[in-house]
Amino acid sequence: MKVENVVLEKKYHDAVEHWRRHHFKDYQTLLDSWEKYFPKDEPFCLCAKLELGTPDVIHIGEQKGQPKRVNPDELTEDQAHHLLAIIKAQASTEFGSIQQHAGTVDRAHDDQDRAWVLRVMAEELRHGYQMLHLLLSKDWSHVSGGVTGPEMVEEILSMTTGNHVLDAFNLDYDSFMDNITFAAFIDRVGKYQLTMQKVCAYKPMADSMPPMLREEAFHLAAGVIPLRRFAERAAKGDPLAHLELVQHSINKWFARGLEMFGDERGGQKNISFGFKDLTNREAVNQYIEEVRKMIRDINTRFVRGRFPGYTPDKVESAIDELERTRGSHQGLAYEDLLYLPDPRFFRRKGEVAFQMVGVNGEPFTDADSYLSYLARHLNAGYVASRDMRLYAETLRKVVAGELTVE
Amino acid sequence: MPETSTVLRIRPLDELDISAIVRIDEKISGIYRPEVWETRIMYYTRRDPGASQVAEIGGRVVGFMLGDLRAGEFGLEEPSGWIERFGIDPDHRGQDLGRRMFDAIRAHFVAEGAKSVRTLVDTTDGGVAGFLKAIGFMPAPLQALELRL
Repeated sequence: MKVENVVLEKKYHDAVEHWRRHHFKDYQTLLDSWEKYFPKDEPFCLCAKLELGTPDVIHIGEQKGQPKRVNPDELTEDQAHHLLAIIKAQASTEFGSIQQHAGTVDRAHDDQDRAWVLRVMAEELRHGYQMLHLLLSKDWSHVSGGVTGPEMVEEILSMTTGNHVLDAFNLDYDSFMDNITFAAFIDRVGKYQLTMQKVCAYKPMADSMPPMLREEAFHLAAGVIPLRRFAERAAKGDPLAHLELVQHSINKWFARGLEMFGDERGGQKNISFGFKDLTNREAVNQYIEEVRKMIRDINTRFVRGRFPGYTPDKVESAIDELERTRGSHQGLAYEDLLYLPDPRFFRRKGEVAFQMVGVNGEPFTDADSYLSYLARHLNAGYVASRDMRLYAETLRKVVAGELTVE
Repeated sequence: MPETSTVLRIRPLDELDISAIVRIDEKISGIYRPEVWETRIMYYTRRDPGASQVAEIGGRVVGFMLGDLRAGEFGLEEPSGWIERFGIDPDHRGQDLGRRMFDAIRAHFVAEGAKSVRTLVDTTDGGVAGFLKAIGFMPAPLQALELRL
């Protein structure tokens, strides 16, 4: 595969550099220690990367078989409008995640975990840069409502945690546990979106996906491997490591991750426009199965750590038994393991928005009872957050019939 | 419809394959070493995602082949695919899984512009040496040397 590296016009490149000096203060530290943590890897490049040699023909949708579009004005107005919104939302997520990571990256358990997250942040910066390239390299004025390219860049770079496009990027991290859980859960949604968009009928978008996906693979590992190692510490009785810390972080992020796919009933427009190849429900169902596998993988590490003399088969059967009986095994309780919350738990968007459902699918009818339940299943820092206050206010209005869930 | 339990799939390695690879390695070597495999899988995931392959039967990983594309090492400027480690669950040997994984990793290397695939082998390990010979590896002019300390 061949990749073309593209640098933005100097004033835009400088704007991104200016942004990262404010929001990513450890950037230079990362570059200075690159050889130590990533020996022989290619040096980091703050540039857009476009895969060469990708298909020229539209893969799916109403224009299937036609040549891929290379300019926005070759798309229908509806298509261009919809795609512009996707690109701006994607740009917002990339810059937003850096702002989130930056708050707690220095609390990493060790220097290697910190270096991994710093690299994730740098690559998210590059992905944001990639989206700016898509906005600036072509003329979108016919669907931008009069907003110019430079204004779009300014709008994106001025967003902060709290006013990004997607909810998952408006939550502050409460500890380094959020850095790695976010990488394992939310970056995984990113992987799905990028994979679906590899078919995009707009060729510059499609060509942007493979290099981003290759970097995303590292982001997922930078979440999963520290989670596995934390599970091992918890299993060995480290008094500072307990899987409840992980579980509370999962409870915080899983619901937001599901909502990033969009309403479960939607996504057909993306397919008919040729922008993605799965509906929202198809994608979210695959995602749920994948995170279920991830949790099983971490639990395997945990149980083996607790019972070092067990064979791999015995570890598997112990987990099967615990999941089946929800009882205990040699002093290890089902509640000691990680679990995937019910997909209806703590939702605020989609077809199950504001249904009050517990992690095991148990229903609630009273808002305060549900909020008390959430407070016991989320970490203290998050429970005390503005986001939770706003959620509680909205939930009470929905339950009282003052607000309707659309 | 084929039975699900026997469906073979060769696919690129991902970070959720660690436990399966640890398990296969333990069956082969008798040693449980998750840290080693976490480190190696992070390396390949970072360096050349899409190169390393696993073999799944019925959704269960039963073999792996790890490698990446490199250039500039040992004076070899030409991009080469390197295969570092591979293993197959002893219960699933004899099913041509090694060759299938090799075909996939080789296709990846070719797509990335490699002109050759390289590896090192302990010639006293007849099984591994025989497998590599069977899939087309031949002794190269470049020879591995060592100095015992």
